[in-house]
This record gives sequence, C-alpha cells and structure tokens, in this order.
Amino acid sequence: MTAAKSWSGWQALKDHPWLAALVIFLPPLSALLFIAIFASGTPHKLPVGVVDLDHTSESRLLIRKLDAHPSLDMRHPFTSATEGGDALHRGEVYALLIIPSDFGKDLRRSTSPKTSAFYNSQYLLAGKFISSALMQTSMSFSAEIGVALRLGQGYSLPEATSAAAPVQPQITALYNAGMSYALFLVTSITPAVWQILIVASTLLALCWRLERAPLSNNYASRVSEILQLLLPIALILWLQGILFLAFYYLFLGWSPEDNVLWIVLAMALKVLAIQSVGTLILSLVGNKISAFSLSSAYLAPAFAFMGMTFPRGDMNSLAQFWGNLMPSTHFMELQVAVADHGAPLLTFLPSLGWLAVFSLLLPFAIYRLPSQLEVNMKERISL
Amino acid sequence: MSEKTSFWLTWLSELEKIFKDKEVLLVVFGGLIFYALLYPLPYKENVPGQQAIAVVDYDRTHLARQLIRMADATPQVRVAAHPASFAEAEALLASGEVHGLLVIPQFFERDVYLGQPTHLSFAGDASYFLIYGNVVEGLLTAAVTLTVQTQVVSSLMKGENPALIPGQVMPMQMKTIPVFNPTSGYISYVVPAVFVLILHQTLLIAAGSLTIKDRARRKLGLQKSPLLLTLPMRLINFVIIYLLFAMIYFGFFFQLYGIPHAANPIELLALSMLFFFSTTLFAIWLGYLLPRPELAIVVVLVTSLPIVFTGGFVWPVESLPKWIDIISYVFPAKAGIQGFLSINQMAAPFSSILREIGILLGLCIFYGTWLLFRVHADQKLSENQY
Repeated sequence: MTAAKSWSGWQALKDHPWLAALVIFLPPLSALLFIAIFASGTPHKLPVGVVDLDHTSESRLLIRKLDAHPSLDMRHPFTSATEGGDALHRGEVYALLIIPSDFGKDLRRSTSPKTSAFYNSQYLLAGKFISSALMQTSMSFSAEIGVALRLGQGYSLPEATSAAAPVQPQITALYNAGMSYALFLVTSITPAVWQILIVASTLLALCWRLERAPLSNNYASRVSEILQLLLPIALILWLQGILFLAFYYLFLGWSPEDNVLWIVLAMALKVLAIQSVGTLILSLVGNKISAFSLSSAYLAPAFAFMGMTFPRGDMNSLAQFWGNLMPSTHFMELQVAVADHGAPLLTFLPSLGWLAVFSLLLPFAIYRLPSQLEVNMKERISL
Repeated sequence: MSEKTSFWLTWLSELEKIFKDKEVLLVVFGGLIFYALLYPLPYKENVPGQQAIAVVDYDRTHLARQLIRMADATPQVRVAAHPASFAEAEALLASGEVHGLLVIPQFFERDVYLGQPTHLSFAGDASYFLIYGNVVEGLLTAAVTLTVQTQVVSSLMKGENPALIPGQVMPMQMKTIPVFNPTSGYISYVVPAVFVLILHQTLLIAAGSLTIKDRARRKLGLQKSPLLLTLPMRLINFVIIYLLFAMIYFGFFFQLYGIPHAANPIELLALSMLFFFSTTLFAIWLGYLLPRPELAIVVVLVTSLPIVFTGGFVWPVESLPKWIDIISYVFPAKAGIQGFLSINQMAAPFSSILREIGILLGLCIFYGTWLLFRVHADQKLSENQY
C-alpha cells in the first residue's frame, strides 16, 4: 500500500466534499456574507417616532433637522405619548421623541425647553446610535438657534457665533475615521468564523484519516503522517486568511498602519494553533462526536471573549482566562495593535508568543491520538 | 401486538434514544448548563467601566485643571496619564495603555473668559466601538458642563437679564432615556437573545444527530417502528425536554443574572412551544439531509455567527440587505429571538408578534410537509425492496 502518499491532506480534500467545502469555499463565502451584512457601513434611516405636542414652525424645524441625519427616519408621527409608547413596545420604532407643548414659545422666550427621547436599549447598538445622533443633531440645532436668539438681542454676528458656542469640541475617531461598523465588525467576526472553520476542518480531516487506515505505532512516522494530512489544509486555510485581508482592503477601505506581514505571520501561527488544539481534543476524548461537541463548546463563543465588543479590560479574571485559552483572542490583539494602532513590536510580541505556544501541544496530541477510529455503520448513512 | 402497546413501545424506544445516547445527553444536559454559565461570563461587569485616557495640557491654568477634574469625575473615563507632548500621548495610545486623549490648547482659559471661540480636541480609540463611545460621552459631558458654567458666569458678569440666561447657555435640551434595559447593561442586551440561540443550536445538534443515527439503523434493518408514529413522538419528546430547559433558562438563569422579564407565563409558554416545534422539525429535516451525525455539529458551528448578526438584535434588520434579511428566516432562531425579545424584554402585547408567530408556523408547515413527503418516499422504497 502506498500509505504515506494517498493519505495526504490533498487526497482528503478530493475525497471529502464536506472538508473541501469548509476549507475551500466557506472561508471566502462567509467573509463576503459578513461584508454584505454590514454593507451599509453604519445603521441607516432607523425609524424614530415623534409626538409633537407643539406644532410650531420651531418644532417642525427640529424634526426636519433630525430627519436629515442619515441614521434617523423621523417620519413616524404619533398623536399621543401613549400611542407612541405602544409603537416603541411593539418594536415599530427604535425611539420616541416627545416635543413638549410651548416648545417654540419657550425657545423664543429663551427659557431652554426640554425635549425627551426614549430609546430602545434592548437593541443596544441601534439604541445608542440613535441616542447619540439625536444628541449631536439637537446640539447643533441648539447652537444655530442660540445665534439667532442673540442676533435678535442685538449682538453682532461674530459675537453671537462665539457666544453661542464658546468651546467647540473637535472629536476624532482614531484608527477608524469614518466610524464604519462594517470595518469594525467584519474584521473581528471573520477571524472568529475562520477559527471555527479551521477547527471543524481539522477534526473532519483527522476522522477521515483515522477511519480509513490506522496510524503507525512508530512516533516519528506517526508525526509525519499527521503533518502530511494537516499541513496542506493549513496552507490553504492560511492563504484564505490572506484573502480576507485583500477583501478588507478592497471592500472596506482597510489600510493597516504597520507592516501587514506581521498579521500574515500571525495567521500562519493561528492556523497551526487551532489545528493543534483540535488534534489535542480528539486525542483526549478519542471519540468523533464528543470531539466535535467539545470543540464547539470551546470555540463557538470565541467572538464574545475577544473583547472587540465588550472590552477585555472590563471582564472578570475568569472570563479573561477563558479568553486567553482561545487563539482568536491573541490574534485579535495583534491585529488591532498592528493594523490599527501601528504599535511597536514589543506591544504585540506577547500575542505572537501565545499563538506559537498552542502549537507546542501538537507533538503530545499526536502521541495521544488513537491510531484508529472505528466506523460504526449504525450511526451513519454513508462513509 | 395491539395498537396500544406498539404506541407505548415506540414512545419508550424514542425516549431511550435520547437518554441512552451519551452524545445527545452531553449536548442537551451538559451543553445547555455549560453555555448558560459560560456565555454571560464576559459581561459579568455589565457596563464597561471607566476607560483610561491621557490629557495633554498646553494651558496649565486653573480652568484647564478644572476641566481635567470634571472629566476624571465622569463614570466613563479616568485620567491615567499626563504626557508632556502629543507624540508621547500617541505612543500611549498605540501601546493600548490609554484609549482616549484630551488636548487642551494654549490660552484656553483666556479665550474662554474673553468670549473668543476656542477648540478642545478629543480623540477616542475607535478600534473598540464601546470604548470609543464611552470616552467621547465622558469627555463631552465634562466639556459641556464646563461650558455651561463659564457661559453663566460671563453672562452674569456682562449684566444680562438672568431670565434669559438658560436659553442663551442652552437654547434647547435633549434628554435621551434608555428603556427596556434601563442600565444599558450588556447582560440584558446579549443574554436574552443568545439564550434563544443556544436552545436552538443545541436542539439542532441533538435532534439532528439522533435522526441521522436512527436513519442509519433503519437502513441496516435494525429499527422498524413506523416513521409516521416515531417522528411525531420524537418531536414531542424534544419539545417537552426543551420546555423544561426554557423554564430553567427564562426562569432561573434570568433571575440569576438579573435580567428583566415581562411576558406572562402562559404567553411565554405558548411562544416557547411553537418555537421548539419548529426548531425540532427543522432539526429532524436536517437529519434527513445530512449523512453523518458530526455534520449536524458542523452546520451548527458554521451558522451560529451568521444567525447572531442577521437576527436583528445586534445589527438592525432595517440595515440588512433585503435578501439576507429574508433568507435568514429559514432558521427558526431569527423569528424566535425577535418574538422572545418583544414579549419578554420589551413587554410587547402578544398581538404584536403575530408576524413572528406566523413565520414559525410557516416553518413548521414547510419542514413538516417536506418530512411527510420524505417519509412517504422512504416507505415506498422499503416496500419495493421486500
């Protein structure tokens, strides 16, 4: 039997359509799917209910001004707060703005009328987005009204302008100037999805191999058998990682601050790291389904532990520890440091180290791996 | 064998398939408890705490120091460094030691009191949106508070009519108030939706892989109970087991994590039942599509994140491309998440989730009918064999 040759990763990819799907087709497809999901960049025209109890030209001006904001759609009038509140409960609008009666009059009398906006914080991202859009727009509306008021009180135009807004804040969003959710989320979700595809393909490949022929009992040849199986798959998955970077660049305007080769290197380490932990899990449980179950328990929640949405600094030590056990956490730290912050090598060296450490598990995992997996036709329809 | 005994025997054998299958038990009983403890773990603190910022103070006056103290006093930021130059501040940002920056220009105090326009520069680390939002919110609060104070002082000094001062300082006010999740906590935001997803995904693995194994045994002639009896029983068994877990999830664990729950129990039960019926039918349908039990897990793994981000609770459905929004309803999880969030978190009346109910019913009919045809075809096939 020409055992060594016919059991390579290349052969596995030819033999096993599911494996080929996970390694060849799904990585680019899932990256493109997420690019499509967030194609609008930022939330767009979110419905906001309005209860205008004032009905003056001032209140209508405010509503028009808010409606001009690209994220707000104010064309949802309600006659009473109760009616508007119901719509908020039913999820028809994400927020409800209430303009009090006498709004216009109080504005002209310079008594600073107060408007309230209730926003849906169950949908936290949309809610906060609306809240800040309402705040910002009403502040600029307020400043314009302030100038008009002072002009009416006999100020000159330059005086009125500076008195209305004496301190002007200039806000800079560092590293993502357009505040694009697409850039933020796609570049953090894709590495998590990729990690899942890597671990699933590793297990599928190992099972394919161990169900068809026993591994050698000699450790050295066993190592070479496993490497022949896993390395070709690792190579393709690594190239897929590089393809992701090209997608970010093409579709999201991604431009890394520092040398992108560090990320490319980290990607290679990440693929090997995940293949190593996948092999380790199979070697420890020695059963195909349990290995899949445990791997999903371990890596499916990886996105939550990466700290891109909820900061790692604010997690408790148990959550930080669990996050450290996942290659994706270290990879994301490195990606942020290199691509966004343009940080010095010293900052992301620990992440590289961590990623490399996972691969040290592979020799032990190969040693422990059962030499064969039984094929139980009572549990499967086809081979 | 009488009709009745065959009925009970089929039911027993269906129960046995669940309780004697270690892999199914691991997913259902182990997985559901493990995930319920693991998923909320990152968000134990619930709201992000004070983020470290650096202040570059080129003014070094009383007013500048007052601004710094005000920023430090906000719940969103804390002043962690006072770099002497902008370059130094950039290095701190790059190394991730601070996530925000406040630059106070020279002559800040003088310009403010002379009524000349002046600029304050804020910068936040937009690599992390939640951190960025917090930094900007904290710095803006401090700057607005300071501006209001100085404006009041200078208006009074100019001897203006005190009655007009509120409108001069702030012609109008906008107060935004969070509802349904009043603390804007992350647990109440993520957990209610993700719990629905966990129930959905573990059910897909358990009922899906069990169905695949059953098909394998039937193919070998080891299992002969009529499918038209077996499948409904499998459906009912899983629905009952998952209703128990729904009680633990929406009852015990919601209580444990302090998540608000507004729905009345009957309505919650009704929606849960419909949700589990459609999810189990989907799982069995998947079981008829996939040739090996581990592939059910692969499908679940690969679809989890797409379901999260098309489910509408993170990214608004209005902002999804239409075709993605529609296709993603093939997973009962999407209508389920939206329905549960509406009645249990947002206290919506049951009548407002008729759309979600309709979608779940539609999915039941779709997967159920498909299965009926499939079973019918299988039976014809086996009749022809003998």
